[in-house]
Amino acid sequence: MSGEILRVDNLWKSYSETPVLRGVSFEVLRGEVKVIMGPSGSGKSTLLRCINLLVRPDKGRISLEGKEVFPKPYDSIHRIRQKIGFVFQSYNLFLHMTVLDNVRVGLIKVKKLSKEEATKRAMEALRIVGIGPELWNKYPAQLSGGQQQRVAIARAIAMEPTIMLMDEPTSALDPELVGEVLNVIRDLAKQKMTMLIVTHELDFALEVADEIMVLDGGKIVERGKPSEILNNPKHPRTRRFIERLRRRVEHGHR
Amino acid sequence: MIFINIKVIEEYGPIILSGLNKTAILTVGGFGMGFAFGSILAFTQCFGGRISSRVATAIEESLRSIPLLVLMLLIFFGLPEVGLSLTPVQSAILAIGLRSMAYQSQILRSAILAIPRGQIEAALSLGMTKAQLFTTVIAPQALRIAIPGLVNQFTIDLKDTSIAYAIGVSELFTEAVHVAQVALDYLTPLVFVGAIYFVITFAASSIMSRVYKRIAIPGLGASQ
Repeated sequence: MSGEILRVDNLWKSYSETPVLRGVSFEVLRGEVKVIMGPSGSGKSTLLRCINLLVRPDKGRISLEGKEVFPKPYDSIHRIRQKIGFVFQSYNLFLHMTVLDNVRVGLIKVKKLSKEEATKRAMEALRIVGIGPELWNKYPAQLSGGQQQRVAIARAIAMEPTIMLMDEPTSALDPELVGEVLNVIRDLAKQKMTMLIVTHELDFALEVADEIMVLDGGKIVERGKPSEILNNPKHPRTRRFIERLRRRVEHGHR
Repeated sequence: MIFINIKVIEEYGPIILSGLNKTAILTVGGFGMGFAFGSILAFTQCFGGRISSRVATAIEESLRSIPLLVLMLLIFFGLPEVGLSLTPVQSAILAIGLRSMAYQSQILRSAILAIPRGQIEAALSLGMTKAQLFTTVIAPQALRIAIPGLVNQFTIDLKDTSIAYAIGVSELFTEAVHVAQVALDYLTPLVFVGAIYFVITFAASSIMSRVYKRIAIPGLGASQ
Protein backbone atom coordinates (compact mmCIF):
# COMPACT_ATOMS: atom_id res chain seq x y z
CA MET A 1 0.00 0.00 0.00
CA SER A 2 1.33 3.38 -0.87
CA GLY A 3 -0.14 6.80 -0.37
CA GLU A 4 0.13 9.86 1.70
CA ILE A 5 0.07 9.38 5.45
CA LEU A 6 0.84 12.86 6.68
CA ARG A 7 0.59 16.21 4.99
CA VAL A 8 1.55 19.49 6.63
CA ASP A 9 0.70 22.67 4.76
CA ASN A 10 2.03 26.11 5.56
CA LEU A 11 2.10 25.58 9.32
CA TRP A 12 2.60 28.59 11.57
CA LYS A 13 3.02 28.80 15.32
CA SER A 14 4.13 31.59 17.63
CA TYR A 15 4.66 31.59 21.36
CA SER A 16 3.63 35.00 22.68
CA GLU A 17 4.68 36.94 19.59
CA THR A 18 7.84 34.89 19.01
CA PRO A 19 7.39 32.93 15.79
CA VAL A 20 8.57 29.34 16.10
CA LEU A 21 7.18 27.82 12.92
CA ARG A 22 6.97 30.00 9.85
CA GLY A 23 5.14 28.26 7.06
CA VAL A 24 6.34 24.66 7.21
CA SER A 25 5.08 22.29 4.52
CA PHE A 26 5.97 18.69 3.79
CA GLU A 27 4.44 15.26 3.41
CA VAL A 28 5.26 11.74 4.55
CA LEU A 29 4.26 8.77 2.41
CA ARG A 30 3.38 5.33 3.69
CA GLY A 31 6.47 3.40 4.74
CA GLU A 32 8.73 6.42 4.49
CA VAL A 33 11.21 7.56 7.09
CA LYS A 34 11.81 11.28 7.16
CA VAL A 35 14.39 12.90 9.36
CA ILE A 36 14.24 16.46 10.62
CA MET A 37 17.46 18.14 11.67
CA GLY A 38 18.14 21.63 12.84
CA PRO A 39 19.80 23.67 15.56
CA SER A 40 18.13 23.96 18.93
CA GLY A 41 15.32 26.48 18.89
CA SER A 42 14.61 25.86 15.23
CA GLY A 43 11.11 24.58 15.99
CA LYS A 44 11.60 20.82 15.60
CA SER A 45 9.85 19.80 18.83
CA THR A 46 7.07 22.30 18.28
CA LEU A 47 6.52 20.92 14.80
CA LEU A 48 6.11 17.35 16.07
CA ARG A 49 3.85 18.50 18.89
CA CYS A 50 1.67 20.41 16.46
CA ILE A 51 1.16 17.28 14.40
CA ASN A 52 -0.43 15.34 17.26
CA LEU A 53 -2.07 18.51 18.58
CA LEU A 54 -0.22 18.64 21.88
CA VAL A 55 0.46 22.17 20.69
CA ARG A 56 -2.22 24.00 18.78
CA PRO A 57 -0.89 25.57 15.58
CA ASP A 58 -1.90 29.14 14.73
CA LYS A 59 -2.39 28.64 11.02
CA GLY A 60 -2.00 26.04 8.33
CA ARG A 61 -3.36 22.64 7.62
CA ILE A 62 -2.52 19.13 8.80
CA SER A 63 -4.03 15.96 7.44
CA LEU A 64 -3.56 12.32 8.31
CA GLU A 65 -4.32 9.68 5.66
CA GLY A 66 -6.07 12.35 3.65
CA LYS A 67 -8.37 13.39 6.49
CA GLU A 68 -8.12 16.81 8.04
CA VAL A 69 -6.68 16.96 11.55
CA PHE A 70 -6.22 20.71 11.77
CA PRO A 71 -7.92 23.18 11.67
CA LYS A 72 -11.08 21.04 11.52
CA PRO A 73 -10.39 17.63 13.07
CA TYR A 74 -12.40 14.87 11.40
CA ASP A 75 -12.75 13.12 14.74
CA SER A 76 -12.15 13.83 18.44
CA ILE A 77 -8.57 14.81 19.20
CA HIS A 78 -7.93 11.84 21.47
CA ARG A 79 -9.10 9.41 18.79
CA ILE A 80 -6.80 11.04 16.26
CA ARG A 81 -3.87 10.87 18.67
CA GLN A 82 -4.30 7.09 18.96
CA LYS A 83 -3.10 6.86 15.38
CA ILE A 84 0.03 8.89 15.99
CA GLY A 85 2.76 7.25 18.05
CA PHE A 86 5.01 9.66 19.90
CA VAL A 87 8.44 8.93 21.33
CA PHE A 88 9.94 11.61 23.56
CA GLN A 89 13.50 12.63 24.20
CA SER A 90 13.10 11.96 27.92
CA TYR A 91 11.10 8.70 27.49
CA ASN A 92 8.26 9.93 29.73
CA LEU A 93 7.32 6.49 31.01
CA PHE A 94 4.68 6.35 33.73
CA LEU A 95 6.84 5.98 36.83
CA HIS A 96 4.18 4.24 38.93
CA MET A 97 3.62 1.46 36.42
CA THR A 98 5.65 -1.60 35.62
CA VAL A 99 7.15 -2.03 32.17
CA LEU A 100 4.27 -4.25 31.11
CA ASP A 101 1.65 -1.86 32.45
CA ASN A 102 3.27 1.06 30.69
CA VAL A 103 2.88 -0.73 27.38
CA ARG A 104 -0.61 -2.08 27.90
CA VAL A 105 -2.29 0.83 29.68
CA GLY A 106 -3.11 2.55 26.39
CA LEU A 107 -4.50 -0.67 24.95
CA ILE A 108 -6.73 -1.25 27.96
CA LYS A 109 -7.84 2.29 28.77
CA VAL A 110 -7.85 3.88 25.35
CA LYS A 111 -8.38 1.04 22.91
CA LYS A 112 -10.60 -0.83 25.40
CA LEU A 113 -9.01 -4.19 24.68
CA SER A 114 -9.51 -7.02 27.15
CA LYS A 115 -6.68 -7.45 29.63
CA GLU A 116 -5.58 -10.73 28.00
CA GLU A 117 -5.55 -9.30 24.50
CA ALA A 118 -3.74 -6.16 25.69
CA THR A 119 -1.16 -8.22 27.55
CA LYS A 120 -0.54 -10.37 24.50
CA ARG A 121 -0.02 -7.35 22.29
CA ALA A 122 2.14 -5.59 24.87
CA MET A 123 4.40 -8.63 25.17
CA GLU A 124 4.73 -8.75 21.42
CA ALA A 125 5.69 -5.08 21.28
CA LEU A 126 8.21 -5.58 24.07
CA ARG A 127 9.77 -8.48 22.19
CA ILE A 128 10.10 -6.32 19.10
CA VAL A 129 12.14 -3.77 21.02
CA GLY A 130 14.16 -6.51 22.75
CA ILE A 131 12.89 -6.08 26.29
CA GLY A 132 12.80 -9.57 27.79
CA PRO A 133 10.34 -11.00 30.35
CA GLU A 134 12.85 -10.52 33.17
CA LEU A 135 12.19 -6.78 32.90
CA TRP A 136 8.42 -6.81 32.50
CA ASN A 137 7.69 -6.38 36.18
CA LYS A 138 10.34 -3.77 36.83
CA TYR A 139 9.60 -0.09 37.27
CA PRO A 140 11.07 2.54 34.92
CA ALA A 141 13.50 3.82 37.55
CA GLN A 142 15.07 0.35 37.68
CA LEU A 143 15.95 0.41 33.99
CA SER A 144 18.77 2.04 32.04
CA GLY A 145 17.94 4.97 29.80
CA GLY A 146 18.25 2.80 26.71
CA GLN A 147 15.86 0.24 28.16
CA GLN A 148 13.41 2.95 29.16
CA GLN A 149 13.43 4.42 25.68
CA ARG A 150 12.87 1.00 24.14
CA VAL A 151 9.88 0.48 26.46
CA ALA A 152 8.60 3.89 25.37
CA ILE A 153 8.89 2.79 21.75
CA ALA A 154 7.04 -0.43 22.58
CA ARG A 155 4.32 1.61 24.28
CA ALA A 156 3.87 3.60 21.09
CA ILE A 157 3.99 0.72 18.58
CA ALA A 158 1.61 -1.43 20.65
CA MET A 159 -1.10 1.07 19.72
CA GLU A 160 -0.46 0.23 16.06
CA PRO A 161 -0.14 3.84 14.93
CA THR A 162 -0.23 4.86 11.30
CA ILE A 163 2.82 7.05 11.88
CA MET A 164 5.47 7.38 14.55
CA LEU A 165 6.84 10.74 15.59
CA MET A 166 10.15 10.66 17.43
CA ASP A 167 11.57 13.71 19.13
CA GLU A 168 15.33 13.23 19.52
CA PRO A 169 14.91 9.68 20.81
CA THR A 170 18.60 9.23 21.64
CA SER A 171 19.64 12.72 22.77
CA ALA A 172 19.14 12.05 26.47
CA LEU A 173 21.05 8.77 26.42
CA ASP A 174 24.58 7.99 27.50
CA PRO A 175 26.69 7.40 24.38
CA GLU A 176 27.02 3.68 25.00
CA LEU A 177 23.23 3.28 25.07
CA VAL A 178 22.46 5.10 21.83
CA GLY A 179 23.16 2.08 19.64
CA GLU A 180 20.53 -0.21 21.14
CA VAL A 181 17.80 2.37 20.62
CA LEU A 182 18.90 3.18 17.07
CA ASN A 183 18.89 -0.54 16.27
CA VAL A 184 15.26 -0.79 17.32
CA ILE A 185 14.32 2.17 15.15
CA ARG A 186 16.31 0.68 12.28
CA ASP A 187 14.27 -2.54 12.61
CA LEU A 188 11.05 -0.55 12.55
CA ALA A 189 12.23 1.18 9.38
CA LYS A 190 12.96 -2.21 7.79
CA GLN A 191 9.41 -3.26 8.59
CA LYS A 192 8.22 -0.18 6.73
CA MET A 193 6.90 1.71 9.72
CA THR A 194 6.12 5.26 8.65
CA MET A 195 8.23 7.58 10.77
CA LEU A 196 9.08 11.22 11.23
CA ILE A 197 12.22 11.46 13.34
CA VAL A 198 14.05 14.43 14.78
CA THR A 199 17.62 13.29 15.24
CA HIS A 200 21.18 14.46 14.96
CA GLU A 201 22.64 10.99 14.45
CA LEU A 202 24.23 11.55 11.04
CA ASP A 203 25.17 7.97 10.18
CA PHE A 204 21.81 6.73 11.29
CA ALA A 205 20.01 9.34 9.20
CA LEU A 206 22.14 8.53 6.18
CA GLU A 207 21.19 4.89 6.54
CA VAL A 208 17.45 4.95 7.27
CA ALA A 209 16.09 8.25 6.02
CA ASP A 210 14.33 8.58 2.69
CA GLU A 211 14.64 12.32 3.03
CA ILE A 212 16.23 14.79 5.41
CA MET A 213 14.63 18.14 6.09
CA VAL A 214 16.69 20.86 7.71
CA LEU A 215 14.71 23.22 9.86
CA ASP A 216 16.13 26.60 10.79
CA GLY A 217 14.35 29.60 12.23
CA GLY A 218 10.98 27.89 11.85
CA LYS A 219 11.41 27.16 8.14
CA ILE A 220 12.58 24.20 6.13
CA VAL A 221 15.73 25.67 4.59
CA GLU A 222 16.81 22.57 2.72
CA ARG A 223 15.49 19.11 2.01
CA GLY A 224 16.62 16.18 -0.04
CA LYS A 225 18.27 12.78 -0.12
CA PRO A 226 20.40 12.12 2.96
CA SER A 227 23.58 11.73 0.94
CA GLU A 228 23.06 15.11 -0.73
CA ILE A 229 22.22 16.94 2.45
CA LEU A 230 24.98 15.42 4.52
CA ASN A 231 27.75 15.38 1.93
CA ASN A 232 26.91 18.34 -0.22
CA PRO A 233 24.68 20.77 1.63
CA LYS A 234 23.68 23.77 -0.47
CA HIS A 235 22.40 26.19 2.11
CA PRO A 236 25.22 27.85 4.10
CA ARG A 237 23.32 27.40 7.36
CA THR A 238 22.92 23.70 6.67
CA ARG A 239 26.61 23.44 5.89
CA ARG A 240 27.61 25.09 9.16
CA PHE A 241 25.16 22.99 11.11
CA ILE A 242 26.31 19.68 9.59
CA GLU A 243 29.95 20.63 10.15
CA ARG A 244 29.23 21.33 13.78
CA LEU A 245 27.56 17.95 14.19
CA ARG A 246 30.53 16.22 12.50
CA ARG A 247 32.96 17.89 14.84
CA ARG A 248 30.94 16.80 17.84
CA VAL A 249 31.04 13.19 16.69
CA GLU A 250 34.78 13.33 16.03
CA HIS A 251 35.42 14.69 19.48
CA GLY A 252 33.29 12.01 20.98
CA HIS A 253 30.66 14.38 22.35
CA ARG A 254 27.09 13.81 21.51
CA MET B 1 4.64 11.00 89.31
CA ILE B 2 3.75 13.82 91.63
CA PHE B 3 1.50 15.78 89.35
CA ILE B 4 -0.67 12.86 88.32
CA ASN B 5 -3.33 11.58 90.62
CA ILE B 6 -4.02 7.98 89.67
CA LYS B 7 -7.26 8.01 91.61
CA VAL B 8 -8.64 10.77 89.37
CA ILE B 9 -7.82 8.71 86.30
CA GLU B 10 -9.39 5.62 87.82
CA GLU B 11 -12.53 7.47 88.69
CA TYR B 12 -12.94 9.82 85.74
CA GLY B 13 -10.88 8.16 83.00
CA PRO B 14 -13.92 6.49 81.40
CA ILE B 15 -15.76 9.80 81.30
CA ILE B 16 -12.87 11.49 79.52
CA LEU B 17 -12.58 8.56 77.11
CA SER B 18 -16.26 8.87 76.27
CA GLY B 19 -15.24 12.02 74.39
CA LEU B 20 -13.19 9.92 71.98
CA ASN B 21 -16.31 9.22 70.00
CA LYS B 22 -16.88 12.88 69.12
CA THR B 23 -13.17 13.46 68.59
CA ALA B 24 -13.18 10.65 66.03
CA ILE B 25 -16.27 12.02 64.29
CA LEU B 26 -14.76 15.53 64.07
CA THR B 27 -11.41 14.23 62.85
CA VAL B 28 -12.72 11.85 60.23
CA GLY B 29 -15.49 14.20 59.16
CA GLY B 30 -13.24 17.24 58.96
CA PHE B 31 -10.33 15.48 57.29
CA GLY B 32 -12.63 13.62 54.90
CA MET B 33 -14.40 16.79 53.91
CA GLY B 34 -11.05 18.51 53.55
CA PHE B 35 -9.80 15.76 51.27
CA ALA B 36 -12.89 15.68 49.08
CA PHE B 37 -13.05 19.43 48.54
CA GLY B 38 -9.29 19.91 48.73
CA SER B 39 -8.87 17.54 45.77
CA ILE B 40 -11.39 19.52 43.75
CA LEU B 41 -9.68 22.77 44.70
CA ALA B 42 -6.24 21.42 43.78
CA PHE B 43 -7.50 20.05 40.48
CA THR B 44 -9.12 23.39 39.68
CA GLN B 45 -5.93 25.25 40.50
CA CYS B 46 -3.85 22.98 38.27
CA PHE B 47 -6.18 22.37 35.35
CA GLY B 48 -8.96 24.91 35.61
CA GLY B 49 -9.32 28.01 33.51
CA ARG B 50 -7.77 31.27 34.60
CA ILE B 51 -10.79 32.56 36.46
CA SER B 52 -11.74 29.33 38.22
CA SER B 53 -8.18 28.71 39.34
CA ARG B 54 -7.96 32.23 40.73
CA VAL B 55 -11.19 31.75 42.63
CA ALA B 56 -9.85 28.47 44.01
CA THR B 57 -6.64 30.17 45.12
CA ALA B 58 -8.58 33.00 46.76
CA ILE B 59 -10.71 30.50 48.71
CA GLU B 60 -7.63 28.62 49.79
CA GLU B 61 -5.70 31.68 50.92
CA SER B 62 -8.53 33.29 52.82
CA LEU B 63 -9.27 30.08 54.72
CA ARG B 64 -5.62 29.67 55.59
CA SER B 65 -5.49 33.18 57.02
CA ILE B 66 -8.28 32.79 59.58
CA PRO B 67 -7.52 31.14 62.92
CA LEU B 68 -9.51 27.94 63.33
CA LEU B 69 -11.08 29.20 66.54
CA VAL B 70 -12.35 32.33 64.82
CA LEU B 71 -13.62 30.31 61.86
CA MET B 72 -15.47 27.91 64.11
CA LEU B 73 -17.10 30.67 66.15
CA LEU B 74 -18.04 32.51 62.97
CA ILE B 75 -19.74 29.41 61.62
CA PHE B 76 -21.46 28.56 64.86
CA PHE B 77 -22.67 32.07 65.70
CA GLY B 78 -22.67 33.64 62.27
CA LEU B 79 -24.49 31.16 60.06
CA PRO B 80 -27.74 31.32 62.09
CA GLU B 81 -27.83 35.03 61.19
CA VAL B 82 -28.22 34.02 57.55
CA GLY B 83 -30.76 31.37 58.42
CA LEU B 84 -28.50 28.35 58.61
CA SER B 85 -28.32 26.86 62.08
CA LEU B 86 -25.83 24.08 62.55
CA THR B 87 -25.36 21.94 65.64
CA PRO B 88 -22.07 22.36 67.48
CA VAL B 89 -20.80 19.09 65.99
CA GLN B 90 -21.76 20.14 62.47
CA SER B 91 -20.19 23.56 62.95
CA ALA B 92 -16.97 22.01 64.22
CA ILE B 93 -16.78 19.55 61.32
CA LEU B 94 -17.41 22.34 58.84
CA ALA B 95 -14.74 24.58 60.36
CA ILE B 96 -12.13 21.84 60.61
CA GLY B 97 -13.10 20.62 57.15
CA LEU B 98 -12.76 24.04 55.52
CA ARG B 99 -9.40 24.69 57.09
CA SER B 100 -8.22 21.19 56.24
CA MET B 101 -9.45 21.68 52.67
CA ALA B 102 -7.28 24.76 52.29
CA TYR B 103 -4.16 22.96 53.48
CA GLN B 104 -4.88 19.69 51.70
CA SER B 105 -5.40 21.49 48.43
CA GLN B 106 -1.90 22.91 48.81
CA ILE B 107 -0.45 19.51 49.58
CA LEU B 108 -2.25 17.90 46.63
CA ARG B 109 -1.44 20.73 44.28
CA SER B 110 2.27 20.49 44.90
CA ALA B 111 2.02 16.69 44.49
CA ILE B 112 0.29 17.10 41.13
CA LEU B 113 2.89 19.63 40.04
CA ALA B 114 5.66 17.22 41.07
CA ILE B 115 4.60 14.78 38.35
CA PRO B 116 6.85 15.38 35.36
CA ARG B 117 4.99 17.27 32.64
CA GLY B 118 6.29 14.79 30.06
CA GLN B 119 4.13 12.02 31.47
CA ILE B 120 1.06 14.12 30.85
CA GLU B 121 2.15 14.62 27.25
CA ALA B 122 2.79 10.89 26.94
CA ALA B 123 -0.65 10.03 28.26
CA LEU B 124 -2.34 12.48 25.91
CA SER B 125 -0.27 11.14 23.01
CA LEU B 126 -1.64 7.67 23.66
CA GLY B 127 -5.07 9.15 23.14
CA MET B 128 -6.18 9.38 26.76
CA THR B 129 -8.97 11.79 27.60
CA LYS B 130 -8.43 14.26 30.44
CA ALA B 131 -10.44 12.02 32.76
CA GLN B 132 -8.35 8.96 31.88
CA LEU B 133 -5.19 11.02 32.28
CA PHE B 134 -6.31 12.03 35.75
CA THR B 135 -7.38 8.62 37.03
CA THR B 136 -4.60 6.50 35.53
CA VAL B 137 -1.58 8.79 35.56
CA ILE B 138 -2.01 11.79 37.83
CA ALA B 139 -4.03 10.57 40.81
CA PRO B 140 -2.06 7.39 41.57
CA GLN B 141 1.23 9.28 41.55
CA ALA B 142 0.03 12.47 43.22
CA LEU B 143 -1.51 10.50 46.09
CA ARG B 144 1.69 8.60 46.71
CA ILE B 145 3.68 11.80 46.71
CA ALA B 146 1.11 13.52 48.94
CA ILE B 147 0.83 10.84 51.64
CA PRO B 148 3.34 12.29 54.14
CA GLY B 149 1.75 15.72 53.86
CA LEU B 150 -1.75 14.31 54.17
CA VAL B 151 -0.84 12.26 57.24
CA ASN B 152 0.62 15.36 58.80
CA GLN B 153 -2.58 17.26 58.09
CA PHE B 154 -4.62 14.39 59.55
CA THR B 155 -2.76 14.63 62.85
CA ILE B 156 -3.18 18.41 62.87
CA ASP B 157 -6.93 18.01 62.30
CA LEU B 158 -7.06 15.42 65.06
CA LYS B 159 -5.41 17.68 67.60
CA ASP B 160 -7.41 20.71 66.51
CA THR B 161 -10.69 18.98 67.26
CA SER B 162 -9.97 20.18 70.80
CA ILE B 163 -10.84 23.69 69.63
CA ALA B 164 -14.47 22.51 69.40
CA TYR B 165 -14.38 22.94 73.19
CA ALA B 166 -15.15 26.58 72.50
CA ILE B 167 -18.59 25.74 71.11
CA GLY B 168 -19.35 23.04 73.62
CA VAL B 169 -18.81 19.85 71.66
CA SER B 170 -18.29 17.05 74.16
CA GLU B 171 -15.10 15.72 72.63
CA LEU B 172 -12.02 14.46 74.42
CA PHE B 173 -10.64 17.78 75.56
CA THR B 174 -14.01 19.18 76.64
CA GLU B 175 -14.62 16.08 78.75
CA ALA B 176 -11.20 16.48 80.31
CA VAL B 177 -11.91 20.08 81.25
CA HIS B 178 -15.26 19.10 82.74
CA VAL B 179 -13.63 16.39 84.78
CA ALA B 180 -11.00 18.86 85.90
CA GLN B 181 -13.65 21.20 87.17
CA VAL B 182 -15.43 18.45 89.05
CA ALA B 183 -12.34 16.75 90.43
CA LEU B 184 -10.66 20.08 91.21
CA ASP B 185 -7.52 18.75 89.55
CA TYR B 186 -6.47 20.25 86.25
CA LEU B 187 -3.16 18.56 85.72
CA THR B 188 -4.20 14.95 85.79
CA PRO B 189 -7.00 15.14 83.18
CA LEU B 190 -4.85 17.35 80.92
CA VAL B 191 -1.86 15.04 81.07
CA PHE B 192 -4.23 12.16 80.47
CA VAL B 193 -5.81 13.66 77.30
CA GLY B 194 -2.41 14.85 76.14
CA ALA B 195 -1.22 11.27 76.33
CA ILE B 196 -4.28 10.05 74.43
CA TYR B 197 -3.69 12.56 71.62
CA PHE B 198 -0.08 11.51 71.53
CA VAL B 199 -0.92 7.80 71.30
CA ILE B 200 -3.45 8.28 68.51
CA THR B 201 -1.18 10.60 66.55
CA PHE B 202 1.77 8.29 66.97
CA ALA B 203 -0.26 5.24 65.95
CA ALA B 204 -1.72 6.99 62.90
CA SER B 205 1.71 8.14 61.78
CA SER B 206 3.32 4.76 62.14
CA ILE B 207 0.47 2.95 60.41
CA MET B 208 0.63 5.40 57.55
CA SER B 209 4.38 5.21 57.25
CA ARG B 210 3.97 1.46 56.85
CA VAL B 211 1.32 1.91 54.21
CA TYR B 212 3.60 4.46 52.59
CA LYS B 213 6.44 1.96 52.40
CA ARG B 214 4.19 -0.80 51.16
CA ILE B 215 2.88 1.18 48.21
CA ALA B 216 6.26 2.75 47.51
CA ILE B 217 7.51 2.45 43.96
CA PRO B 218 11.15 2.81 42.97
CA GLY B 219 11.84 6.23 41.53
CA LEU B 220 8.62 7.78 42.74
CA GLY B 221 8.67 10.19 45.68
CA ALA B 222 7.46 7.47 48.04
CA SER B 223 10.56 5.31 47.83
CA GLN B 224 12.89 7.23 50.14
